[in-house]
Amino acid sequence: MKILVCIKQVPDMESKFKVNAKGVWYEETDLAFRMNEYDEYAVEQAVQLKEQLGGGPEVTVLSIGPDRVLEPVKKALAMGCDRAVHLKDDDSSGKDPWQIASAIAGFSRDKNFDLIFTGMQSQDRGSAQVGAIVSELLGCACVTTVVHFAFNDGIVTAKRELEGGLKCIVRFRLPAVVTCQLGLNKPRYPTLPNIMKAKKKEIVSQAAAGFAATEALSGTGEFYVPAKKGRGIILEGDVNEMADRLIGILKEKTTVVR
Amino acid sequence: MEATREIYWNVGHGVVLPMYGFFFLAALVFLYGFYRRLPAYRRGKALNRLDRLRERIPLLLKNLFLQVRVLRVFGPGSLHAFFFWGFGLLFIGTLLIMAQVDFTQPLFGLVFLKGAFYELFSLVLDVSGLVAIVMLGGLLVRRFFVRPKGLETIRDDYLSHTLLFAILVTGFVVEGLRMAATEISANPGLARFSPIGLLVGRLFAGMSDAGLFLAHRVLWWVHFFLAMGFIAAIPYTKLRHIFLTSTNYLFSDLAPKGTISTINIEDDSSGSFGAAAVSELTWKDIFDADACTTCKRCQERCPAFATGKPLSPMKVVKQIGEVAFTKPQAGLIETVGQDALWACTTCRACQEICPANIEHVTKILEMRRNLSLMEGAFPGDEVRIASENIEVNGNPFGLAFAARGDWAEGLAVNVMERNSEADILYFPGCYASFDKRNREIARSFVQICNAAGVKAGILGKEEKCCGEPVRKLGNEYLYQTTAAANIEAIKRYGVRKIVTTCPHCFNTLRGDYRDLGLTIDVEHAATFIKGLIDQGRLRLKPGSFEFTYHDSCYLGRYRDIIDEPRAVLKAAGGRLREMEKSKYESFCCGGGGGRVLAEEKLGTRINEERTRMAQATGAPLLVSNCPFCLTMFEDGIKTGGSEGKLKALDLTEIIAARIGGRD
Repeated sequence: MKILVCIKQVPDMESKFKVNAKGVWYEETDLAFRMNEYDEYAVEQAVQLKEQLGGGPEVTVLSIGPDRVLEPVKKALAMGCDRAVHLKDDDSSGKDPWQIASAIAGFSRDKNFDLIFTGMQSQDRGSAQVGAIVSELLGCACVTTVVHFAFNDGIVTAKRELEGGLKCIVRFRLPAVVTCQLGLNKPRYPTLPNIMKAKKKEIVSQAAAGFAATEALSGTGEFYVPAKKGRGIILEGDVNEMADRLIGILKEKTTVVR
Repeated sequence: MEATREIYWNVGHGVVLPMYGFFFLAALVFLYGFYRRLPAYRRGKALNRLDRLRERIPLLLKNLFLQVRVLRVFGPGSLHAFFFWGFGLLFIGTLLIMAQVDFTQPLFGLVFLKGAFYELFSLVLDVSGLVAIVMLGGLLVRRFFVRPKGLETIRDDYLSHTLLFAILVTGFVVEGLRMAATEISANPGLARFSPIGLLVGRLFAGMSDAGLFLAHRVLWWVHFFLAMGFIAAIPYTKLRHIFLTSTNYLFSDLAPKGTISTINIEDDSSGSFGAAAVSELTWKDIFDADACTTCKRCQERCPAFATGKPLSPMKVVKQIGEVAFTKPQAGLIETVGQDALWACTTCRACQEICPANIEHVTKILEMRRNLSLMEGAFPGDEVRIASENIEVNGNPFGLAFAARGDWAEGLAVNVMERNSEADILYFPGCYASFDKRNREIARSFVQICNAAGVKAGILGKEEKCCGEPVRKLGNEYLYQTTAAANIEAIKRYGVRKIVTTCPHCFNTLRGDYRDLGLTIDVEHAATFIKGLIDQGRLRLKPGSFEFTYHDSCYLGRYRDIIDEPRAVLKAAGGRLREMEKSKYESFCCGGGGGRVLAEEKLGTRINEERTRMAQATGAPLLVSNCPFCLTMFEDGIKTGGSEGKLKALDLTEIIAARIGGRD
């Protein structure tokens, strides 16, 4: 079995964001980067499946972007992926989901991956399109927002999270693309021996341009910090008084207390 | 008549041969007993603890003969010390007799136990014996009647008490019988120099000579066999501490307090990091377990134990011994338990008080290292998140690294990146940089520097967590990563001196970073401010206030900085009301050992316990010198019901508020 995990490096959401000069994305200075949270679930699930199958499957981790994306790639290798592919693109943040997905699909087309795991969306762009488009381009099944994953005798049973607290169970055969949601698993913390082993694992670097669609299907018009409308209220003082004021606010502004 | 006595009186010189025969037998049993223990020590890794003998031997002599560490706890310590001195003198007395009668007299005709020296000898030995009996009685009452909490009594204790008591009593009876027959009426002048023997001898006043002779002969042998039994029993019972605890003084860790071995993280040849088995500890860790007398001093002072957590430093040490001696393949971490290991605040109270010189903290750290580096384990998910935050943003809160220097806005302080002209580099650390309450410490410190004409620089967003909390939780990899970044930034600006307001940063930069190549002078604000006051550079407007002072573990116990902060606070006009547990006996706030990042889910809260102790002094102010302590106390005051009665402040805040020229 061959497994591909697609990961993205995103800024830490606590960072100080500034709109860039073009006004269509954020400025990168003073940002701390990390692996997209949902992609961590994807890496963990791929490694868990590999372990379940006795180490048989080969897990390839793929990331598109400038050289800095090698950081999360190394982390994925330390978590247990076998090899890595870096599709180098210094302007990946300027690409739309269609271009990113076609680069992944272009790379994957002749590799015969049985399973492609990725996050259900990125924490920065949040389009939630890449996984779905990849499956469409490769012509395989796509199961999104997965919170439980079980593989038995070639059949996957996955639990999906729907709106309104609903869940649904999906069964499918491989090949397939699976996009991972919070709750799927608890990503492991890399152990030191695995960090050291990861340093010796292969990372193939290729230009993303060779695989990507040249034309974007959508473009960012404007990127901005929304104007402040309301603001938080911080209650201070005596506990009883604060409780009274809180109940007052809840009665006045919400339907919680009637 | 010259004062002396006939050695081997009544038993005759014929006893020499069987006596030495039995002695060699006892000695063999004794040696075999210790020899049998060697393989267990060898299960540990190599470690050189016999270098620098010039420092080690005085440590051994001081602690053995002066009983310095034992006497740190006054009551039972004194009982032990006086018993040791009494029994020791009796032992020396016996050796002197042996030296004369079996060596100097037959070989050179030299007799020295005579005249005034013999009188002194008699008196000293009699008094020593009395002291030993009285002390043993005291220890007996303590162990079997007072029964202090936590003091475990086992078979060995019954045996040692019985043996020692019997040896001392039969000694006096043998002496009394001999004196009744030969001295009391024949040489009353000499008998005065054996007052206890005299008292005992008088009990036999009415006995016939034949009766005295027979009783003496029988008891002489009883006394002898008891003594031989004692020697033979040493390695098989707790009595072994006589040799092992003493030797442990020789094996002292001579590195500065708190030194932790820096793992070569690139070297994974062993395939393992930290300790999950006794073979991954050092021989000294196993020897420590053997030197432990289970006196429970460590357990009594352990803040985790005191608040109902499943950690007893004594138990950990004993468990390591058990594994090493009885089931060397067993897992150490399973034996000790993860909850116990994570509960340690590395406050060092155990190690500081241990009369046997045992190193508790490093054992726990080695096991934590295994948990962290080999299993990726944390005490809780919140700690995992904090650690990942340190990886990404260089602080456990997960706040933007670029905002690290924001606390200094509006203050006269240079950010090195922009202007590296500075007398000192101020390293505020994560809490004083990001935590709203603790930012007051950083701001106060800069105000103090300004008032004293010291130009302070900061690294701002180039500074990262010093790595101390994660290092103490076993995550050596993350520690070394963040440390390397800090060291690179510090070296970039040609810094000459670093001052910290956090004792954890202080110890880490000053000590731990040395192994990674940083050798710049590092000082904590408490001593730095004292220096400024002493040099007359910082003038204060003292205002009278009453306070109690909390010695942070990493400034007090770890660095012996006890008097300086008190002096600074007194110079500011403070009147100190000491807590019962202060100075070297200070009770941890609960934030050490990386616990500041962890939720305290087991037992009661350490910080509430400490704030209650502070409140009990009646002082309205609890002054500390550490952002972790301040954080713990602010919480402890709120949740422990001391709000309105006790206020927590940092030393720098007190001083900044009293800078001369301000109101």
